[in-house]
Amino acid sequence: MRLLAVTVSLGAALLVMASAPSYAAGGDAIFKKSCASCHYTDGPAKEKTISDQLAKKGPELWYAGSKFKKDWLVAWLQDPKPIRPMKYNSLTDPNKGDHPKQSAGDAAATADFLMCLTSPEVKAGAVKPAESAPAKAIFTKKMPCGGCHEYATKGEKHGGKSGPSLVGASKRLNPDWIYAYLANIKVFKPVRDMPDFASVLNPKDLENVAAYVATFE
Amino acid sequence: MSRFVITTTLAAGLALGAVGSAQAEDIKQVYDFYCAQCHGVNGDGKGVNVTADFATDPRNFTVGAEMAKRTDEDIKGVIKDGGPSISKSPLMPPWGATLSAAQVDGLLGYIRKFAK
Ligand code: HEC
Ligand code: HEC
Ligand code: HEC
Repeated sequence: MRLLAVTVSLGAALLVMASAPSYAAGGDAIFKKSCASCHYTDGPAKEKTISDQLAKKGPELWYAGSKFKKDWLVAWLQDPKPIRPMKYNSLTDPNKGDHPKQSAGDAAATADFLMCLTSPEVKAGAVKPAESAPAKAIFTKKMPCGGCHEYATKGEKHGGKSGPSLVGASKRLNPDWIYAYLANIKVFKPVRDMPDFASVLNPKDLENVAAYVATFE
Repeated sequence: MSRFVITTTLAAGLALGAVGSAQAEDIKQVYDFYCAQCHGVNGDGKGVNVTADFATDPRNFTVGAEMAKRTDEDIKGVIKDGGPSISKSPLMPPWGATLSAAQVDGLLGYIRKFAK
């Protein structure tokens, strides 16, 4: 009887493993243990009110595979330098840069897991990084992107501090995700202190701005 | 007579307080979340985004003389459509697609209260 039970559960476990998506063994388990207390990975977006957003201890990661570049992710998880100038959900306290660090092995496994979390909203290969005069004018003058986001010109940082820093966005963010985010922000962030620009800028402008941000060093 | 006045004011005050405080709290949260990043929690225009690069100071809502020049419609319009809608700086973003009409009304009342 006991033997039967063991055999059955073993069989069930094997079945589960066989049918699970093909991320590296362990990445999801590591995540559940060390990361899920602050990040959720099951979409779609859960936040409905400002209080929901303020209750979160870290950014949602359910579309991480569409948002990030994998090389950046693996490196950042081992050496997590601040992305947001301010502490998460704070407009008064600076980001202390105290994100948990992972070993190289754990970071690779966790990144494999996170890169499987994609959103169908993001069309692959639609946006190529490119600088253009209209995009630059929108970013720095016509729309206040730079009012809330840090960016660098010739190595010197400018801009506001309430949004995530866009310095180094070319290495961190997938250009197609940047466009999808600007064009349909409510899918990713129903509640956020960045305005919805899709009704103010036309799709071509949105694409140009996304392509421009995707060049940021 | 004076007692009557005091009692009614008190009663009215309490009634208002009961209804008002829930709303006032919500609208403070809305203001702090969306607007304080530039205009500051106290409405003085000293939000965290206002660094040396910030080309135009966000309106200081506590300067009553300036705010009195604006009609309610002007203020609601600029919140929804951004600075350029009244020939002001685009550093004031358009919030029309983000905020509900009720939130815009609430914000109008909330920022008027900063004026000294
Ligand atoms: C105590 C809460 C907490 C824990 C635990 C935690 N994180 Fe985070 N995480 C945060 C916060 C806060 C940020 C934002 C950091 C910043 O902006 O610099 C963040 C940012 C991230 C980002 C970048 C997201 C973005 O949108 O910019 C990734 C990826 C990430 N965490 C993965 C992980 C992984 C993997 C683990 C487990 C090893 C983990 N986190 C554990 C709080 C946490
Ligand atoms: C009023 C401030 C504000 C303005 C103006 C603004 N943003 Fe943002 N932006 C934010 C905030 C805050 C977030 C983070 C939202 C969140 O994750 O909760 C954000 C997120 C982003 C992200 C995602 C970054 C990441 O790592 O998650 C991109 C890309 C971005 N903004 C680009 C832009 C562009 C382009 C413009 C101009 C068209 C712009 N922003 C204007 C505040 C702003
Ligand atoms: C990215 C920074 C930024 C954010 C966020 C912001 N503002 Fe502003 N706001 C400004 C700037 C800059 C001005 C001044 C424009 C000028 O004088 O040319 C301004 C001006 C104003 C004015 C005055 C216009 C006038 O008549 O002179 C009002 C009213 C106002 N903002 C309301 C709000 C409200 C309400 C919110 C939140 C929903 C908000 N602002 C969010 C930057 C911002």
